[in-house]
Amino acid sequence: MTPDTSIYLHIPFCAHRCAYCDFNTYAGQGDSIPAYVDALIKEINFGAAARPSAHATIGTIFFGGGTPSLLSAPQLASIMDALRAAFTFSSNLEATIEANPGTTSPEFLHQIRAAGINRISFGVQSANPEELHMLERVHDFFDVIQSVKWARQAGLDNLNLDVIYGLPEQTLQTWQTSLQRILDLHPEHISAYALTLEHGTPFGRWSARGMLPLPDPDLAAEMYEWASETLEANGYKQYEISNWAKEVKGQKSKVRPSTFDLQPWAPAFACKHNLQYWRGLPYLAFGAGAHGYAGGYRYSNVLRIKTYIDRLTANSQQPGTAFPLTPAAVNYHRLSKREEMQEAMLTGLRLVREGVSDAAFRRRFGIGIEDAFPKEVDELLRLGLLAWNHVSTDSRLRLMWHARLVSNQVFVRFVE
Amino acid sequence: MTDHIRNFCIIAHVDHGKSTLADRLLQLTGAISEREMTAQVLDTMDLEREKGVTIKASAVRMYYTAKDNQKYEINLIDTPGHVDFGYEVSRALKACEGAVLVVDATQGIEAQTLANLYQALEADLTIIPVINKIDLPSARPDEVAEDVGSLLGVAPEAVLRVSAKEGLNVAQILEAIVTRVPPPKDADDAPLRALVFDSHYDSYKGVIAYVRVFEGSFKHTDVLHLFATGADMKPVEIGIFSPGMKPVERIGSGEVGYIATGFKTVHECRVGDTITRTSAPAAEPLPGYRTPKPMVFAGIYPVDADDHSDLREALEKLQLNDASLTYQPETSQALGFGFRAGFLGLFHMEIIQERIEREYNLDCLFTAPSVEYEVVMLDNTTLTVDSPAELPNEGDILEVREPWMTIEIITPTDYYGPIMDLVTKRRGIFKQQEYPAPHRVQLDYEIPLSEIIVNFFDDLKSRTKGYASLDYQFLEYRPDKLQKLEILVNGDPLDALAAIVHERDAYHKGQRLITKLKELIPRQLFDVAVQASAGGRIISRANVKATRKDVLAKCYGGDITRKKKLLEKQKKGKRRLKMVGNVEIPQDAFMAVLQLGDE
Repeated sequence: MTPDTSIYLHIPFCAHRCAYCDFNTYAGQGDSIPAYVDALIKEINFGAAARPSAHATIGTIFFGGGTPSLLSAPQLASIMDALRAAFTFSSNLEATIEANPGTTSPEFLHQIRAAGINRISFGVQSANPEELHMLERVHDFFDVIQSVKWARQAGLDNLNLDVIYGLPEQTLQTWQTSLQRILDLHPEHISAYALTLEHGTPFGRWSARGMLPLPDPDLAAEMYEWASETLEANGYKQYEISNWAKEVKGQKSKVRPSTFDLQPWAPAFACKHNLQYWRGLPYLAFGAGAHGYAGGYRYSNVLRIKTYIDRLTANSQQPGTAFPLTPAAVNYHRLSKREEMQEAMLTGLRLVREGVSDAAFRRRFGIGIEDAFPKEVDELLRLGLLAWNHVSTDSRLRLMWHARLVSNQVFVRFVE
Repeated sequence: MTDHIRNFCIIAHVDHGKSTLADRLLQLTGAISEREMTAQVLDTMDLEREKGVTIKASAVRMYYTAKDNQKYEINLIDTPGHVDFGYEVSRALKACEGAVLVVDATQGIEAQTLANLYQALEADLTIIPVINKIDLPSARPDEVAEDVGSLLGVAPEAVLRVSAKEGLNVAQILEAIVTRVPPPKDADDAPLRALVFDSHYDSYKGVIAYVRVFEGSFKHTDVLHLFATGADMKPVEIGIFSPGMKPVERIGSGEVGYIATGFKTVHECRVGDTITRTSAPAAEPLPGYRTPKPMVFAGIYPVDADDHSDLREALEKLQLNDASLTYQPETSQALGFGFRAGFLGLFHMEIIQERIEREYNLDCLFTAPSVEYEVVMLDNTTLTVDSPAELPNEGDILEVREPWMTIEIITPTDYYGPIMDLVTKRRGIFKQQEYPAPHRVQLDYEIPLSEIIVNFFDDLKSRTKGYASLDYQFLEYRPDKLQKLEILVNGDPLDALAAIVHERDAYHKGQRLITKLKELIPRQLFDVAVQASAGGRIISRANVKATRKDVLAKCYGGDITRKKKLLEKQKKGKRRLKMVGNVEIPQDAFMAVLQLGDE
């Protein structure tokens, strides 16, 4: 059975550019939204016209950003319609939108739910007003409570909340409070990310100049460990280094997750779109700066909004000539077999419970994991960072539980 | 006939504009066209250009028609501009009759100005004093001319004032060379005696010896003999530099040229050796031959053990061109197979380090430099030890002797105090002082070499805002209370980090070294204990705690490529770490002893 394909759509608009963010997004270009939506639909049609039959069915859709909720509900609906017309949707499609708390009205939420979006992810980041202020987020936690309530009322019963730890001047206590507040909202899914100081962001510059106290890595580790225990104790199962989701058992939910692709390694409310990335399965990319992986290519689109629109408005390329590349693509790389194997390890090991199946690896590459990486695996087993998990006919190589937070030490051995 | 020949060199303190002046002279005499002019022709290695110093000497023939309407053959012999290459300088000076002494109009007389001047006077050269950089706003030519005049015992008006950069008054120098520098002695009929004052390796013609003929002459067909090595050779080619290599059939007395010897290494044709004709040899060589003696030693280890044979090859090739570089295999428990190399000085070592990394693209680890110790054992045998790890047990040693140097520091008088403090802290002994020019003092000290190979020059510069200059020479071996300072990582001694220190400094240095290592050793997957021990006691310890967090955060919209790039970058950093047992130690740690500073 061929796995479903995923679709990532990038919406590079923000009301304000947060100080820590280095994603491809632009503030103050809201005037371009209508033209951008048109271009996006054109690109979808390009991609769809070109797709081989293997990419017929779409399993997940993800509106990422930027701030996708800056688009109006009708604009989002038109994109969903274009997708529906161009592709076949799986019967249990997961369609996620990222949103900023406080920017989503009840009407908006109802309308997008009606358009087929059935999962929403709010960038909560913190419940502490000072931390939110430092991150330059424009919402407060009251907005979060309101947004979650309205989302529930709109029938969005698969909800993710993003939260960041390891902030400068964050204490274990403020972190615990933030996470507790988030648990009180009973989301199906929680993503907890460590703050990374990115080069080229105000945070990066401030810390380089010593104006921002660097997050203490030991404290961040304690925050992570506390969160890990607390989340598990509250019925969230960790399936990826930074992601936790509820098990379906004992939880009230109207969504019936498919059992085929998630069991037994991922909890029912795991983000299927995320899993697609980590399992090395294909996803198409639409929008400025979007990244895709299909047909053996990793590729990405032009970053700037205006260039993106221009490329799609004034192109002479025939649809279907260069799948998966559309006229917006600027970077592409055909992965060698070796690279595919490396990435299978890098991404697969992030799935802390599932790991990398030796049988699946053999089916895909013709050799076992230890044949491909004899020295690396041996060393990592010896260091106690990886372990084999043997189940009936298959063996899975997995991160040791305590190695989750030093996982780069593992991954670094699988790159050149 | 040598009346129309002039051989001269340019001597200057580093950065006083010697290379620029040489370029300008070449241009002026048409030896090189404007088009061929890349800045500083004589410095052929990139590294030289970057460091702004001349490492290898060079010799160029120019033709100049003087005011007397006669055409002169003028040979410019370029000399290395750094204290490490003192012997090479002395040989180059020997090849000349005159020297252009360049003094920076903004800096005035510096230590090397004097050191080089004394050497030039010792070689009986006629000195033509020149003040350079008079175009700079901060130039003070009158004052400097006064100083230089009184130093040489000539009227300040006799000091030429030029700007090599702007080409201002440069022709005056050529005229002065013709009128003031005597022609070489005409001795064409005597048996051949030619001095090798420099050499380089050419992959087609073998070792190229740069020679100055003192007596006799030779043809390209002659069989020649080298006194010091006893070797005979039939030249592949003989010629002159103009400035490229240009073959000629004969080189006569008083002239400067080259011999393509066909030898495979510069060791077969050493600087300072005398060449004569095999069929009609001279009775004895020219005086002053000396084998260069390395003063500073360091271990060189490939970061990746697989590169060992590449490193050997790189050293072999470097040695083809550099007779002062010595090396032999060495094994370190911590670092595996490598080499112990000897250098003329710290500067020489830095050049070799950069060339290995740049020209041979090898990641190497250099251990902290050491000097060569003489160790007298209880049974009265004497060992020489150039690697601190090899110092025998304290109980078996009668005494340890170390090399002492005389150093000469020239500085504006304002910095007298800070220099005195710096030198005495490093066990230096004040000998005497002189005032070679107003507001300038020359301070002479004796000091252990080990105290000046680490940061001494940088400290001197920073304490004197860059004004002080330094020259040094070997004095003798002297005994002192020296002991081994060992560093242990997770209980195991790390031989490459051992140092020999004065008993008085052991505690202090050990503590600082441990503090530094704690900063430099990255956190690993487990705790790492670092300890310093001296005289059989642990004197300092620290713990590098295990890393708890090394994780990549959010993956932006499925951008796996970026995650991979970050990991690749991390891996690249990891490659520069050396695995010692199961501990990863960065290159910096092996040089930590150099970074202790003076606080």
